[in-house]
Order: sequence, then C-alpha cells, then structure tokens
Amino acid sequence: MIRDITIGQYYAANSLIHRLDARLKVVAVMIYIISLFCIGSVATYGVAIAALAAVVVASKVPLRFMLRGIQSIFVIIVLTGIINVFTNKTGTPLWGQDWYLITTGGLSMAGMIILRLIMLIIASSLLTLTTTPIQLTDGIEYLLKPFGKIGVPYHEIAMMMTIALRFIPTLLDETDKIMKAQQARGADFETGNLVHRAKALVPILVPLFISAFRRAEELATAMEARCYRGGEHRTKLNRMAFGAIDYRAMAVCVAFLVVEVVLSVLL
Amino acid sequence: MSEMIRAEHLTYEYVRTVEEEKGSRSETVLALNDVTLTIPKGAFVAVLGHNGSGKSTFAKEINALLKPTKGVLWVDGMDTSDDELLWEIRQSAGMVFQNPDNQIVATVVEEDVAFGPENLGVEPEEIRRRVDQALETVGMTAFRKDTPSKLSGGQKQRIAIAGVLAMEPECIVLDEPTAMLDPMGRKDVIETIHRLNKEKGITIVLITHYMEETVDADWMVIIDDGKVAMEGTPREVFSQVEKVKGFGLDVPQATELAYRLRQMGLAVPKDILTTEEMVGALCQLQSTM
Repeated sequence: MIRDITIGQYYAANSLIHRLDARLKVVAVMIYIISLFCIGSVATYGVAIAALAAVVVASKVPLRFMLRGIQSIFVIIVLTGIINVFTNKTGTPLWGQDWYLITTGGLSMAGMIILRLIMLIIASSLLTLTTTPIQLTDGIEYLLKPFGKIGVPYHEIAMMMTIALRFIPTLLDETDKIMKAQQARGADFETGNLVHRAKALVPILVPLFISAFRRAEELATAMEARCYRGGEHRTKLNRMAFGAIDYRAMAVCVAFLVVEVVLSVLL
Repeated sequence: MSEMIRAEHLTYEYVRTVEEEKGSRSETVLALNDVTLTIPKGAFVAVLGHNGSGKSTFAKEINALLKPTKGVLWVDGMDTSDDELLWEIRQSAGMVFQNPDNQIVATVVEEDVAFGPENLGVEPEEIRRRVDQALETVGMTAFRKDTPSKLSGGQKQRIAIAGVLAMEPECIVLDEPTAMLDPMGRKDVIETIHRLNKEKGITIVLITHYMEETVDADWMVIIDDGKVAMEGTPREVFSQVEKVKGFGLDVPQATELAYRLRQMGLAVPKDILTTEEMVGALCQLQSTM
C-alpha cells in the first residue's frame, strides 16, 4: 500500500510543452501565477483561462491528472469560498442579514477566488507534470545562480533536491520492511484512536531515522570517493540549451503579458 | 611492471568509545598495524579477512578517505597523506562500496554515471562519450534512462562500477561489492571486474569474504588483526588449509573436499581450487586404482 505514493508527478509524453526548457517553464508559471493575482476584469480572466486551456491541450496530459491536484486541496478551496461569501458585503444584498448576509459582491468575489485557486493549481501541476525532476532541479539551480552572490547556496539546494528524490523510493521500501517486521511481531498500526496510532508509529520512525543517518553517512563517503567537492568547477552532462521553440514560447509568454496589461489598463 | 599501490609500514589507529555499565571509556584500536604491501599495475588482487580484520580500512586508505597514522601509502606514486594530491588520487583509484543503494546519487542511471566526471570538471561532450562507453563496458546501455531504484542489486552495482569507470581510473578498489547481492548479481559483478582487468588493464583490488571470488585472482592477501597474515597466489595460500582456517576464514569448497580426502588417506593434490580440478584429480585417482 505504501508503494502507491508516486514521487514527482511527471507524466511522460512527447509534447511541445514537455520539450520546452525547464527554466522557461518555471519562470512562465511564476509570471502566470503573479498575473492571476493582479487581474480582475472578465476580459483579462477570459484571456488567462484561454491561455491556460491552450497550454493544457498542447501538453497532451489528461485533464484528470491536473484535477487530482485540485482534489487534494478541495477543502481549502471550499473554505476560502465560504469565507469570502460571508466577509464581503459589497453589492446588492440577496439573502439573510447581519453576519450571514449574502451579497452579489460576496458571491462574485468568492467565485473569483475559487477560479484563481483552480487556475493556480492547474498551472503549477502542469509544470511538474511536464518536467522531469532532474530537469526541474537543474532549472531551479540555474535560476537561483544570480542569488549565489548574496549567499544563496543554489548548488547545495539543487543537490539536496536530487538526493531527496533519489532516496524517497529507497526509504519507502525500508519503511515498508520495518512495518512488516514490526507487524510480524504483533505491532498494530490500524486500530485504536489517534493517539494510540501515533504512538504505534514510534517503533517505525526510530529505526527509519537510524538507517537514514547511516545511509547519509555512507552516501557522503561515496560522493567524496567520486571527487565531489561542491558546486565549484563542476560541469554537467546535459547542458541546458535554449532552442528555437523556447524563444517562440518566450514570445508567446510576452504576448500574453502585454495583452493582460493592456486589457487591465483599458478596462 | 610498475607499482600501482605501495604501502610501507602503513598503520592506522582510531579511538573508539566503549559503552560499559559504569559509563564509557575510550580505547585505541589498531585497524591497520604495520602493513607493507605492493600491488603492481594491471594486477587482480583479492584481499581477504574476517569482519573487523582491517580490510575495509585498507580500502579507504587507498582512496585517501582515511590518512595513515604512521607509515606511507603511495597510489600510482602519489603519497596519500598529501592533501594537494587528494583529488588526483581519488580519480586514479576509484572505489566501489558494499551497499549499492548508498552510493548512487542521481535519479537517472546515466546522470549517476556522469557524477564523477562532472565533479572533475570534464567537458560535457567528453562526459557523454565516457558515460556511453562506461555503460557499454558494464553492459548496462539499455538501462541508461532508467531509475536506479527499479534495478536489481547486481545491476545497481554495475552502475556503480560504471560511475567509477567514467572517471578513467587506473585502479578500482571494491569493498565487498557482492556482499548484499544474490548469486546471479554476484556472478555478474565478478565477471565484469575480471573483464575490466583483462581488457582495459585496470588494476583491481577486490576486498571480499567469499572464497570462490578469489580463486581467479593473480594474487591474494589475507589480513588478520590489521596485519598481512598471508600472501601469495590463491593456489599457494589455499593449499595451507589449516593456516587459512586459523584466521577464521574458509577455503573454497573443492579445496575443502581435497583436504578432507587427503586426511582420509587419498592421494589428491592439496592445491585444488575449482570443481573442475577436483573432477580431474578424482578421475586420475580412479584410473590409478
């Protein structure tokens, strides 16, 4: 059962979006998310939705993979909507009074927020669905490089992400083994109240941590043996290269931004 | 033949804390005690010893992961206690460890093989060439885009060997590389390192406690209690069954059988190493009877 957890939700497919440079995708998603919080009119939302829909179609990733992300924060979305309905009292009153007064302003505000959240999740899951973890870490390392001057350990961050991704399946296996070993000796993880179950986890966590530390030490030795000495003077097998499609995609992103700004100013 | 590794009075000691009922005390452990040893270039040397004999410490010394407390160790003419030569030593004497899971860094096979050359600052085109060649050599080209966690133990260990190969070392030290593998994986790994030795002339130092793996070595060294206890060709060493057993080690099955047959008064040679030799000896014995 523990094996069902998938790490990084990369969806393998050969699409235009998959082929784009990871750095471009990271920046584009960031710009898109920021723009979502700056726009307000129906027209600007229309453009943003159309742009997202176009990318979703181009990515060849089935929509249900993106909806899975929404499912996991469904409660947050609903809660945000409800809070907005009852806290915004602008516009014409529709129903109720005092604190439970519902107005047109409140409803449209709630609708907008929910729409924003859904778009935000689809946009960010598109990034992880179409980019392999290794491309993503390479992209993030590159984008963080300028911050190296102010002391951001960009190489170390990327290396940590890589190692974490590498060891998640290993540690999951190990957890499974430890759980089975404890169950074989009569441990019970499935019944009892919350406190009881939390306590039952202790005999799993302790050996897991011990083994993780041992692995970390062995890995550090193995890395040293292979001449690892930090990010300096390090080269890469795969150089990230900006191709023609990346420049074209960049132009599309700029066009999107210009349209949104113009629409926001005009309307 | 020139020397790949030369140890002179190599000694390594460390302080260990011993937990006792009344608090803890520290004691000095002599992991390596006055080891003098030469390994020529292109040789296949097996190092044997029971747990805690110091054989792993010896491996780490070669890779300059540990520095000699006393004595000197030269790897390809470089003194391992010289900090300036550290990276050059690690490049020329690569190391493969016991647990395949704890030495693979990347999430994609070819990225992991590239880890060493990337650290050395090799140009990307050259890294690509080395990675492809190393994977070809260990027979793992078909898996280059796979995730290491989905591979078997033997395959992971071959990836680890490819990772060392991509650094183009002169010598590879393998610290019990087969201890966690199934018989199939063990055979794969041993065949791979023999091929590297024969075809590429890479010096191999195989640290192990499986007797069968040492039979094809050019030379073997038994380390006991931090000292070189026995040295010679596998045939010379294993013909002294009682002495080998005295160090808490076994001899290959065929050698054991020959030893027992001799004890029962049968005239079989005492330096039998493999089943084939045993069969030959027995047939000969039968024809003379």
